[in-house]
Amino acid sequence: MNAVARQFSEHGVGSIFLYTHEAHPGEYYPHLTSMEQKFRHAAALRDVLGVTRPILVDALDGACHRAYGSMPNMTWIFNRSGIPIYKSDWSDAASVENALNYFVDVSQRRRDRERLAPFHVERLDYRNVDREAFYAGLERSGPKAVREFREAFG
Amino acid sequence: MSSDSDLLKRYNYDSFIPENFEQWLNFAGSPPLGQPAPDFPLWQLEGQQQTSLNAIWVAHTYTVVEFGSFT
Repeated sequence: MNAVARQFSEHGVGSIFLYTHEAHPGEYYPHLTSMEQKFRHAAALRDVLGVTRPILVDALDGACHRAYGSMPNMTWIFNRSGIPIYKSDWSDAASVENALNYFVDVSQRRRDRERLAPFHVERLDYRNVDREAFYAGLERSGPKAVREFREAFG
Repeated sequence: MSSDSDLLKRYNYDSFIPENFEQWLNFAGSPPLGQPAPDFPLWQLEGQQQTSLNAIWVAHTYTVVEFGSFT
């Protein structure tokens, strides 16, 4: 997602990471109890996981996250008027790149004075599943996070 | 930033077990595409200043917002 952000930054596209809550709390990164702790965990996202996009932190009660559906790693794209034009219940760089290519082209078509009207489309996108990388992420949170995920999903 | 303590505990659950996390998953009920979306206060990691989702999305033609956490 960092690479996609860099790729489209010169086309008027901004990208942020919005810090929510710990989906898989563990011994090293336990559940959140204060904003100070939430800022520390968000800093780890930047420093340990290498998120280079600006990181914004939601309120401790997750008001924004909850209003948008509370999925653990979803992605939304908004236009300048605050209208969502893409939402995905999982974050996938290829899917976001595909959508941005389309919307950047829409902007060009508008500049070319094409008459455009929006319409709704539903589509299933497909992402790679990397079980090893996922479990490596859980291990960073702690053995408890690994154990609880195995118990929940096998 | 303060809120109901029960909500804070339930949202910031301490164990990944279905009865803790399933209650929050509501993508089907999330704001629809094509209509103005709700704004919320947010805090910048760098400097911890308060801002808002609206302040983020007005800054660019398009804005990608990835939701998530360290874990």
